Amino acid sequence: MRDAYLVGAGQSDYGAFPEESYRSLFRTAFEAAADSVPDGIDREDIDEAFVGTLGVGGRQLGLPGPAVTEHVGLGGVPCTRVENACAAGGFAVRQAVQAVGSGMANVVLAGGFEVMSDTSSDAAKYWLGVSGETEWERLSGTTFSGVYAQMASAHMERFGTTEEQLSQVAVKNHSNGAKNDHAQLGFECTLEEANSAPVVAEPLNLYHCCPTSDGAACAVIVSEDVVGEYTDDPIRIAGVGAGSDAVGLFERDTYTGVPASRRAAESAYEMADVGPGDVDFAEVHDCFAIAELLAYEDLGFCERGEAGALVESGRTDLGGELPVNTSGGLKSKGHPIGATGVGQIVEAYEQLAGRAGERQVEGPVRGLTHNVGGSGGASVVHVLERERGVGA
Amino acid sequence: MTAITGVGAYAPRFRISADAFEKAWGHFDADGVETKAVPAADEDALTMAYEAATRGIEAAGTDPGAVGWIGFASSRPPLAEEDLTARLGAMLGVSESATRHVFTGSTRAGTRALRAGGDALEAGREIGLVVAADAPAGATDGSIDHAAGAGAAAFVLEGEGPAEIRDHAEYAAPYPGTRFRVTGEDETRGLGVTQYDRRAFTESIAGAVDGLDADPDAEAAAIQAPDGKLPYRAADAAGVGTGDIRAAATVHALGDLGAASVPVSLAAALEAGHRRVLAVSQGGGAVADAFVVKASGETPARTALDGDGSLSYAEYLRQRGVVTNGPPSGGGAYVSVPSWRRSVPQRYNLEAGRCPACGAFSFPPEGACTGCGALCEYERVRLPGTGTIEAVTTVSQGGAPPEFAEQQARAGEYATAIVALDAGVDDASVSVAAMGTDAAPEAFGIGDRVETTIRRIYTQEGVTRYGFKIRPAGARD
Repeated sequence: MRDAYLVGAGQSDYGAFPEESYRSLFRTAFEAAADSVPDGIDREDIDEAFVGTLGVGGRQLGLPGPAVTEHVGLGGVPCTRVENACAAGGFAVRQAVQAVGSGMANVVLAGGFEVMSDTSSDAAKYWLGVSGETEWERLSGTTFSGVYAQMASAHMERFGTTEEQLSQVAVKNHSNGAKNDHAQLGFECTLEEANSAPVVAEPLNLYHCCPTSDGAACAVIVSEDVVGEYTDDPIRIAGVGAGSDAVGLFERDTYTGVPASRRAAESAYEMADVGPGDVDFAEVHDCFAIAELLAYEDLGFCERGEAGALVESGRTDLGGELPVNTSGGLKSKGHPIGATGVGQIVEAYEQLAGRAGERQVEGPVRGLTHNVGGSGGASVVHVLERERGVGA
Repeated sequence: MTAITGVGAYAPRFRISADAFEKAWGHFDADGVETKAVPAADEDALTMAYEAATRGIEAAGTDPGAVGWIGFASSRPPLAEEDLTARLGAMLGVSESATRHVFTGSTRAGTRALRAGGDALEAGREIGLVVAADAPAGATDGSIDHAAGAGAAAFVLEGEGPAEIRDHAEYAAPYPGTRFRVTGEDETRGLGVTQYDRRAFTESIAGAVDGLDADPDAEAAAIQAPDGKLPYRAADAAGVGTGDIRAAATVHALGDLGAASVPVSLAAALEAGHRRVLAVSQGGGAVADAFVVKASGETPARTALDGDGSLSYAEYLRQRGVVTNGPPSGGGAYVSVPSWRRSVPQRYNLEAGRCPACGAFSFPPEGACTGCGALCEYERVRLPGTGTIEAVTTVSQGGAPPEFAEQQARAGEYATAIVALDAGVDDASVSVAAMGTDAAPEAFGIGDRVETTIRRIYTQEGVTRYGFKIRPAGARD
């Protein structure tokens, strides 16, 4: 398989934008991605596109992919919509890597978008749980906050994880998001604020939950044969891994971890021939604070049951040895479902290209992104490497 | 001959006191009602019927599959048209080929069902099941609604048994306007012409009792109780003392039980060990019927009539949905009625699957085995309905999926859990997702033992979907 390279990535702001459409948000992200390519790119270079979106609100349930690629003037290229709930974006990136690796395309656009703020809160309720198991899980009265709260209850019971440790995830991610102009909730919060927020689904409170967001993100992925035309400081997509599992939590082997993420991480590390200790920073799927803690364990950043202690230690802070969610994560940067996985790639690109400004990690060589669909029905992990750094 | 071989009775756990009404209204219009039972937001006549019937069947030690005749009585069935005995029968495990009847249109529907069940036995049926369940409702500021309680009773009937039903008489005289509900309306009304109403009540009761072949010589009298005073006014008419009426009265604690009034009182009297019980039910119109139950020994009974939750008047209005807005409009994930119907063996009867290859249990019994991954044909196994909580949360107000928005507005926060249901084989279990009911959310913790019951899950397109929920083990014993 040919190697795939990330030569550009960009995103819109995440937030609530009554003046924007899903197409205009996508255009913003597309232009930002194109502009970020060091040696420039022409639209005509793009051979194919994959677009992640769940379709919240149902405004364009069929053919949303061509609807946005046509809008930005990519008329005619093959375009496929990718749907894997909150992991739609990450899987769009994976599809792009596959298309490049197979030799069917040299330059592929991976994008994602979602508009979640333009429905009434009543109508939104119909969409917030659509990616859980519908017949049994949803009809036992849970949306995602409920399912992740059940996971938190099991983790706390088994490992002694505390609500304060959940709040520390929020404090850290808000601290990072405050340094990101694209962040929806780009403000800092104190541990006390995060501890005392209204309860959503016990033990999770409002600060343990990500917001609903509008936004779009795009990444340009090219083959080893053409990467030289776009940059002389290439970032290789060194590892890709993915997994799936039962959609309903009650059908899984464990409630204190996400087996699909473990499988995804194992594959990605193996393909990149690295281990968790070789990663300089990570963007993980923190839709709920407990999800970030589970990710620490599933990705091998710590032993099982040790995630609470890990966040408490400060090692995943921006200045720590393994900064996690430097962008602010889903919690602070926002979570426009289909865009999220691509947005993580945007952060990885900016970090590896040294363009992350105030939240820049010092001289990173290798970053990891981790994107989960539903409560763990699908998961995808990417390992990205700055080739110049690897050689150094 | 017809005899009762098992008795079940049930009332919801919530109570509201006469004092709470006094505080809200400045007066309380249901004489003699001290507290009354209030159905939870996920209860109705059908779920109460299930609660009473499962207890009655268990008390009788009967195989529900052997029931050849089932009657369901309520003045307020959840649907005005649709034969709810199809669902009730399936919930209870009654055979598809059993004869079934719905009795409604009067508060004497419960005793009508008993009479019809007796007739069916006389005609050759071997086992009958009579279930009366009701939760009357009227205009919020009227005496009918103030008195309105909720409860259910069930009787297993066989040719011989410890409690024989003897003698029977009816009486009718035209008294329009005493208690009626106009077709299409939700509120039961009465014109409130005091002397006229009393005459209708006592005349019809006297007429029915006079028609009995023999002097009942009762030690307890289960008399229709639209409030806590009227049955005593009919003591003379029924030829009993007020002490006999009090011995079987449930109206003071549970309120007006409508078509379940006399059945629940009869169940309470039999459980208390009374050997001769006069039962007289009455409905607007006016019609009454009377019969005598003579017990030769203890009648097996299982009842759950005690309350444990006291409501304020505002909470009472919420639980009953008087002040809530109904479900939100919108679209998204949706379970069609045909899809729901396919899951009925699981929703009603906890039918799991056992993998013939590895022995692991799967719920629902479809798709690849969760134990070994085999795409097998499951052996169907009915779970006993007990289990242990593995993971749990309490969903705060506003956090419910839209299907549950109305229920949450009415009943408040609820627990929802993953439960390892006992498979009933070795120590095996199978995990399911289930909502908590019949207790505060705090009563559900990891490691706690629970049992299943059947409740309303949600209503969409006018169709209420019923299915199992969980409650703390023994919560309603």
